[in-house]
Amino acid sequence: MNVIVVGCGRVGAELAYRMFINGHRVCVIDHSQNAFRDLPPDFRGRTMEGDVLSEAVLHRADIAHADALAAVTSSDSLNGVVGRVARTIYNVPIVAVRNYDPQRRELVEAFGMQVVSSSSWGAQRMEELLEGGSVHPLISAGNGEVEICDLMVPPAWEGRTVQELAQCGSCIVAAVTRAGRGLLPTSDMRLQAGDMVHVSATPEGMAALRQAVC
Amino acid sequence: MFVIVAGGGRTGTQLASLLLAQDHTVHLVEYRPEILARIHYEIPTESIYEGSPTNPQILEQAGIRKADVIAATTDNDADNLSICFIARERYQVGRTIARVNNPRAAWLFDDKFHVDVSFNNAEVMANLIMEEMSMGDMMTLLKLRRGRYSLVEEKIPPTARVLGQAIKDIRFPEQCVIAAIIRNGEIVVPRGATLFEADDEVLAVTDRAGAQQLAELFKPAAPH
Repeated sequence: MNVIVVGCGRVGAELAYRMFINGHRVCVIDHSQNAFRDLPPDFRGRTMEGDVLSEAVLHRADIAHADALAAVTSSDSLNGVVGRVARTIYNVPIVAVRNYDPQRRELVEAFGMQVVSSSSWGAQRMEELLEGGSVHPLISAGNGEVEICDLMVPPAWEGRTVQELAQCGSCIVAAVTRAGRGLLPTSDMRLQAGDMVHVSATPEGMAALRQAVC
Repeated sequence: MFVIVAGGGRTGTQLASLLLAQDHTVHLVEYRPEILARIHYEIPTESIYEGSPTNPQILEQAGIRKADVIAATTDNDADNLSICFIARERYQVGRTIARVNNPRAAWLFDDKFHVDVSFNNAEVMANLIMEEMSMGDMMTLLKLRRGRYSLVEEKIPPTARVLGQAIKDIRFPEQCVIAAIIRNGEIVVPRGATLFEADDEVLAVTDRAGAQQLAELFKPAAPH
């Protein structure tokens, strides 16, 4: 793939290097030459200094033939604008933009692209670790609007049903692991202490579930 | 009219003052403390909304849902584009106006980001200076139709070729009309039969190309 990474800060440098290691042709753009010092010495992609809103700079980066573009600067408006330019003017098939400041998340989302809210997402993970107890997040969909978690059934819930559990967090129980064996649960299945339950829920649902069970 | 001015730099503050003087409702959004300290002297407090103009919540507090016009005048092009985009996309603001800072980004300031009108300080200044350089003594009094036409003034030198000629006999540029002649401090309404005299001050409405041809017509005859 031809990949363009806009912004060569911590996220940009790491992303550009990973994509390069995965065998893609990478071009990194930043307005400051100094930014490229963060790239590992064995990075062999292109680096380009310039203002990414300039048509000439985009053409030099060969945006018309790019397969993917990531806008990961620390300016949310710039990420949104560059992403939209890539998507609507140059028809770049895959576009992802970073949301840096949680207060500007709505602004970035208004441009209608895939958004990675790294600050919110990081804070949410930390929050879960601090509040966690026996609930462990496995997958978060989108930017954490829905999560799939593991939950250890405590002795107090011995004998109660899967349906009771689902109702207290308005969540969906996808699987139960009992003594190392995965089981597809029915709503009237009775839980045993030590069962591992795999549930899908919103963060609010997960908090309610945590409160009811832990 | 209810206008939101996003960005309280020199341009934004000047615009807000002018609009307030014409009895429009203006909400100015700015977050930089050093600028806020200054504009509190120039703009009434109830018109100032403290916060970042790229934060949708701040825009909502400033009343963007009811705004007739939004003017994005920050010194950041991506911010100005985003503000216009979200103003139309999310809040259906009827008219969006944006300031261009870097002429290289000017190509984005149109339908692509829901910008209805853009103004580009650097370009306007550069054009003005270029015209002043090429036009000799011609003075631009007023810009019309976003600078495509101008009202210009030129004094007829004593050796001009048009002296003693009637307006109807002179081939003026296509997009040019003589609006008035100032002679000895009095306005002379130009007719076809009016003759040009030395030291006439001629007012004309013309496009850019016409202004150049007009300057050519009125310049002093080359000495032999």
